Amino acid sequence: MKLNNLRMGKRYPYGIHVKDQKQFTSEKPIENMPGSPKIYLSMTQHIGAPAIPVVEVGDYVKKGQLVGKESGAISANIYSSVSGTVSAVCDIVNAMGQKQKYVVVDNDFKEDQILFDEMTSFEPNDIIDRIRLAGIVGLGGAGFPTAVKLSPKSQLDCLIINAAECEPYLTCDYRLMLERTEEIYKGIKYTARALNLNKVIVGIEANKPKAIEIFSKYQDLEVVVLKKQYPMGSEKHLIYCTTGRKVPCGKMPFDVGVCVQNVKTMIAIYEAIELNLPLAKTVITVSGGGIKYPKNLRVALGTPFADIIEYCGGVNDDTVKVVAGGPMMGKALTSDIQYTRKTDSGILLLKSKEANGEKPTNCINCGRCADNCPMRLIPATMEASILAEDYLHAEKLGVMNCIECGSCAYNCPAKRPLTQSFNFSKGKIKEYYIKKKAQEEKEKNQQKEEK
Amino acid sequence: MTYQFSASPHVRSSNSTKKIMLNVCLALLPATIAGIVFFGYLAILNVLVSVIFAVGSEIVYRLIMGEKFKDIVKSLDYTSLVTGLIIALIIPANWHLYIPALASIFAIIVTKMLFGGTGQNFVNPAAAGRIFAFISFTTLLNTFPAPTIGAINPTVITGATSLQSFLEHGDSLSTIDLLLGTGVAGCIGETCKVAILIGAIYLAIRKIIKIWLPLLSILFAGLTTYMLNDFNLNIILPAILSGGLIFGAFFMATDYVTNPTTTAGNVIFFIFFGILTSLLRHFTGYETASFVILLMNVLVPLIDKIPFRKPFGYQKPKKEVK
Repeated sequence: MKLNNLRMGKRYPYGIHVKDQKQFTSEKPIENMPGSPKIYLSMTQHIGAPAIPVVEVGDYVKKGQLVGKESGAISANIYSSVSGTVSAVCDIVNAMGQKQKYVVVDNDFKEDQILFDEMTSFEPNDIIDRIRLAGIVGLGGAGFPTAVKLSPKSQLDCLIINAAECEPYLTCDYRLMLERTEEIYKGIKYTARALNLNKVIVGIEANKPKAIEIFSKYQDLEVVVLKKQYPMGSEKHLIYCTTGRKVPCGKMPFDVGVCVQNVKTMIAIYEAIELNLPLAKTVITVSGGGIKYPKNLRVALGTPFADIIEYCGGVNDDTVKVVAGGPMMGKALTSDIQYTRKTDSGILLLKSKEANGEKPTNCINCGRCADNCPMRLIPATMEASILAEDYLHAEKLGVMNCIECGSCAYNCPAKRPLTQSFNFSKGKIKEYYIKKKAQEEKEKNQQKEEK
Repeated sequence: MTYQFSASPHVRSSNSTKKIMLNVCLALLPATIAGIVFFGYLAILNVLVSVIFAVGSEIVYRLIMGEKFKDIVKSLDYTSLVTGLIIALIIPANWHLYIPALASIFAIIVTKMLFGGTGQNFVNPAAAGRIFAFISFTTLLNTFPAPTIGAINPTVITGATSLQSFLEHGDSLSTIDLLLGTGVAGCIGETCKVAILIGAIYLAIRKIIKIWLPLLSILFAGLTTYMLNDFNLNIILPAILSGGLIFGAFFMATDYVTNPTTTAGNVIFFIFFGILTSLLRHFTGYETASFVILLMNVLVPLIDKIPFRKPFGYQKPKKEVK
């Protein structure tokens, strides 16, 4: 049977081929992980202002009760994922080296759940309000509050569901697509309604034929099969390959009339609207050569990584690296003292052979980075100017357009830390412009005073 | 328990500078073997001396700079090995073994180590070493032995390379002789074109070079010769099959360090390499491939300055309306 809503995506020639390593967990159904005795809810699980704790030490919280309230336009609510007593509200330095405010809840395993009120009307505004209330953020990894993303300044004409999952190892999106198709579909419908549009494109990489088959049954979705290539899940490249539109440098997807959402976010939206549940659980992949039993798990937010690793049978010998997220863009952890956040999509335990982390040597100018860069930059030249501390020249070369996908560093034969230096220089450039602005204002004020 | 901390990406491909350089050495083997078959034990001696002095001078230099011997051995990335091997292959087999030794020392110490080692040299060390040797020992290096196998053309064996006699008198061997290197007087590794092509194809399969770039320069060299010689079609094949053009295009111009970073830059680099080699050959009557490589190497920073590409999604800044 030839399906008329299925088509191939546009080809994009630049990118890399990474060993996808999904065989560890791709056939494993999602398991529910039992609750941990103690959960640690970070108040910064999203981009924007941190949430403000609304509970105090000694308070009893129910499952699904608000513990952190959003503060500002770009922020998100945080809900308790278990019932129990709040034992601490304090700053903790996590394994990424970030100092964040945490609410610690001692689990009493009573599973006392409170729900939102039943929704009565499903107008776009009501849907967006519910999404904001439930604390839903982009679960693909960036963590941008979804309610803000769904209230664009101009009318959009296309919703793109990012189901590419181009990161190696991770399979949580894939499993969700197979197991909870109906929920995702309903979530998509609500989102499309909130944006007041009809056209929905689901972009799936060609290495997930089962998911493609399942989604192409829905005749009102347009399924686009993408070439298996990294970084296909990058917003800009996904938009280009599915619609042919190029997002201009420094602009956002809504400037070209599209909104990109992750599959996981769709499930969260469905749960918030139909099941009246806040966002308090997430699905992650625990994988890599370093873990005894790789799994896809549904875990409560705030569960310590140590408990998750223990639940998966513990660590093999020769494990050198723990990564939160995918291997290409995730963050390395110094220890397992880290707690599940909304944006987590996986925990990887890598053996030294997988990580291949050799010491960097001199750049031999082979040009592999420039050949592969999906943003068409020249990483080798940019790195040279960053090493010379000429950040403004690096900006001229386009470092601000870098999406930090890691394609350059992955293929570098000299093992140069390219992505790291671009990240670093971006900070330096922003700092420079803030300083410059402050300086200019100061001069203006002085001139005014002189007058 | 603590784990390694680093920035993303956390997985990396298995290629490394060492592996690339080893593959280049492997690719040079057919040409080396052909050289040994044609020129006998003298070729083996030249190769050995050149390689030993190249690697040795890197080690000695780094010892003088205060590195520990263990660390040096661990971090040797075979680039000197490649340089030494190439130098041996681009000089004629001769009894004056101090010539390859001096050329190697000059190539490694002056052009590479003094500028900061691997990846920092601004010209191709092997080309610089060869030019150093040819300028310093002009008369000694002017006798090119011809291989003992194959049809020896009496006009060729006199001393100059087959290229030179071709450029001066218009004599040339048959195309098959030129391809196989039988009876061709010349440098150890440059005579057998088939062996060079085998190595080049290996490099292309291993994705170390883009094979169409050297082919482009050979094509343009042929075209230039064709136009310079009153559009004589018969002259193209002997011209591109003689001398060091093919070896230079596949193994010396493709040196990563001294060619442009982007593919677009490389296209310019290789086209100019082909055209200039033919032009200078025509007007000087001398083999100029390595000089042209050196010249193009110096132009690389200039080529790299040309803004070939725009970031994905680049828009021209709109002109402000006054």
